[in-house]
Amino acid sequence: MLTKVHPERLFIGSIMLAFALLIMATVGIKPQLLQSLQFLILFVSLLLVIWIGIKAGKFDIITNRLRNRAVGWLIAATFSTALWSFAHKSTQLVFPALKEFRKIWNTFEPFALFATVVFILFALILFIVGSRDSKLERPGFIERSLVHNLSSKIAALPMVLTAVGVFVIATLWTVYHSFTNSRMLPKSEFIGLAQYERLWNSDRWYMSIENLAIYGACSLIFSLVIGFMLAALLDQKTRFENTFRTIFLYPFALSFIVTGLVWQWILNPDYGVQKIVRSLGFDSFVFNPLYNMDIVIYGILAAGLWQGTGFIMCLMLAGLRGIDQEIWKAARIDGIPMWKTYIQIVIPMMRPVFITTLVIIAAGIIKVYDLVVAQTSGGPGISSEVPAKYVYDYMFGAQNLAQGFAASTMMLVSVLIVLIPFTYLEFGRRKNA
Amino acid sequence: MNSIEIKNLSLNFGDVKVLKDLNLTIEKGEFLVLLGASGCGKSTLLNCIAGLLDVTDGQIFINEQNVTWLEPAQRGIGMVFQSYALYPQMTVEGNLSFSLKNAKLAKDEINRRVKNASEILQIEDLLKRKPAALSGGQRQRVAIGRALVRDVDVFLFDEPLSNLDAKLRTELRVEIKRLHQKLNNTMIYVTHDQIEAMTLANRIAIMRDGLVLQLDDPKNIYNFPINKYVAEFIGSPGMNFLQGKINNKDNVSFQIDDTLFELDGYNFQTIVEDKRPVWLGVRPENIVVNDGNKSMPVNFDVVVEVIEPMGADTLVWSHFNGHEFRFTVDGNKVINIGEKINLGFDPLHISIFDFESEDRL
Repeated sequence: MLTKVHPERLFIGSIMLAFALLIMATVGIKPQLLQSLQFLILFVSLLLVIWIGIKAGKFDIITNRLRNRAVGWLIAATFSTALWSFAHKSTQLVFPALKEFRKIWNTFEPFALFATVVFILFALILFIVGSRDSKLERPGFIERSLVHNLSSKIAALPMVLTAVGVFVIATLWTVYHSFTNSRMLPKSEFIGLAQYERLWNSDRWYMSIENLAIYGACSLIFSLVIGFMLAALLDQKTRFENTFRTIFLYPFALSFIVTGLVWQWILNPDYGVQKIVRSLGFDSFVFNPLYNMDIVIYGILAAGLWQGTGFIMCLMLAGLRGIDQEIWKAARIDGIPMWKTYIQIVIPMMRPVFITTLVIIAAGIIKVYDLVVAQTSGGPGISSEVPAKYVYDYMFGAQNLAQGFAASTMMLVSVLIVLIPFTYLEFGRRKNA
Repeated sequence: MNSIEIKNLSLNFGDVKVLKDLNLTIEKGEFLVLLGASGCGKSTLLNCIAGLLDVTDGQIFINEQNVTWLEPAQRGIGMVFQSYALYPQMTVEGNLSFSLKNAKLAKDEINRRVKNASEILQIEDLLKRKPAALSGGQRQRVAIGRALVRDVDVFLFDEPLSNLDAKLRTELRVEIKRLHQKLNNTMIYVTHDQIEAMTLANRIAIMRDGLVLQLDDPKNIYNFPINKYVAEFIGSPGMNFLQGKINNKDNVSFQIDDTLFELDGYNFQTIVEDKRPVWLGVRPENIVVNDGNKSMPVNFDVVVEVIEPMGADTLVWSHFNGHEFRFTVDGNKVINIGEKINLGFDPLHISIFDFESEDRL
């Protein structure tokens, strides 16, 4: 029975448990108890290390490779000891200036202590494992988790922490505070669903959603269709293809603010299209979408399409180029008309490109903000408001954080409603295939 | 009756002349292989016949009908590609029936043809699978099947076996040959692999720089190459070439430095004058190692330098008068490096090429 228990796994497990306890203690849950528990577990880990050593029985000369790693962990332990002693009471006696850092150090100290203990344990276990593993064919569990690709694991750690911090913790924090009555600063005073009630009773929010739906549906369909058509046309061994590609892609180099401003001028009745047509003699010609509440969102859509389709075209063109020329030849021999080849063969083959494109377009739709700000500032009235603008305005303009959080939570929920079944379908398909 | 006739075909890409005034006649039921190094225009010619490339000049007839400006689908051809070019999102059955469905054939007829083709190619078990779930050999079978269901007179193969590994290649090669014997269709097959060409073809067209150098059956191409390029291209290991001149004093003979090879028995195409510089080409497999008695009309000595055992026979590398000289001996024969060996050959099996023009003399 005992042979089935892997002391090495127990060792790693207990260190992780100790770390979890440490974090809980730091957050503020029963610090005294948990901290002593944590040291108890670390002591158990030490016993486990000794057990591993006894189980190993015969010791050999440690392999060079592992000795270096073990020494590395010892050096790390020295560093963390140095950190730990920084601003400790006894150090303060020697350098009174360090008293300044006392407050930071209070939260910092248990981690440094923990790191010191764990690093020494790691070094110890590597010495033991290294002396034993030199005889084994396959690196043991400890060696694999502590030595193999260690530098890449360490290098990835900051990004992993950042990603978790931004995407998980910040999201949870936002959702949590949407249930409070936070105004200018976040507060933890719960008021239930009141912010959501207010949100769903607001005309402005309804208008935003309606606009987003129109903008989203149109921009999705039109950028896909126009982008694919342009790509398909450019793929016909067009002369000056590079020139055309550059021209189509140029708008993408402009920021949304500039795009919005340019299109505001184009659609402005006093400077733009209406003025030009009128100066040609059509005096009664009217074309001012940005001042018409019913169609203002299409004015914004035009600017969005102008900016985005070039990029979609480039993605599609790359996808088309990735298709084997012999497929085209085979289809011609089989007598399939060109449009049918596109629809039934080429587009299904470009599925991955389409999914990438879809994600890019969808992200662009959800975050549309600056285009509206530059073109209409949400006007006339509230007729061109969008959710992202609602969130921004409430968070930083109206100083009603919780309302902004409630709106952004709703946006997140709607994205998830679309995204979860979609991912499920995608991954489910791949497993079946 | 001619199945395919190509008259004065030219094709230019801009200033580059890929095919130059090419003429070719292929009989019904013939298996023609277009052979050549890459860039010689063989695939281009096949694409022209298929109608995938527009010709610059000339005409193409298939079954006595001028198809030069017809769409590929209307020419009555089926084509098999190097990369298989299967439609990846359709099943094997879908791949086979797609062109027929598109041509609005009756359902029974489609089923009959798909069943027939899959029986011939032994892919009945694979009909419900997608190309991604097939091996290379199976994919190529499906690709052949796609040409087969169209019930056409002419099959075009564009290096169909080049993406397969060596073992599968030999297997599928035989199958293509069986298929041809069974169907008796006209087949045009493009390859750069001379073994494929030799084994499959009724006739081989060796191409270079957009021209057909020699169009003949495999045996004649092997034995009587029309010029030095063809001689070098066909045969593995390649032909040996010795540079010398003709000595026409009493008997016609080949002179290299001070050595004279009597050329009694060699069939000269023209009368060759004295002292004309020539290449003498002799295939490694036509060299005989003499054990004491000199059985061949021409005999000479070489020193063994490198030995490459290949199982059935052994390839030996040496030098003769400064020219690299290879010959094959039986695999069981014991040969030592540094050994001096007496070799012989029959002038009947050699080729003499002019030094300048490299044409056969």
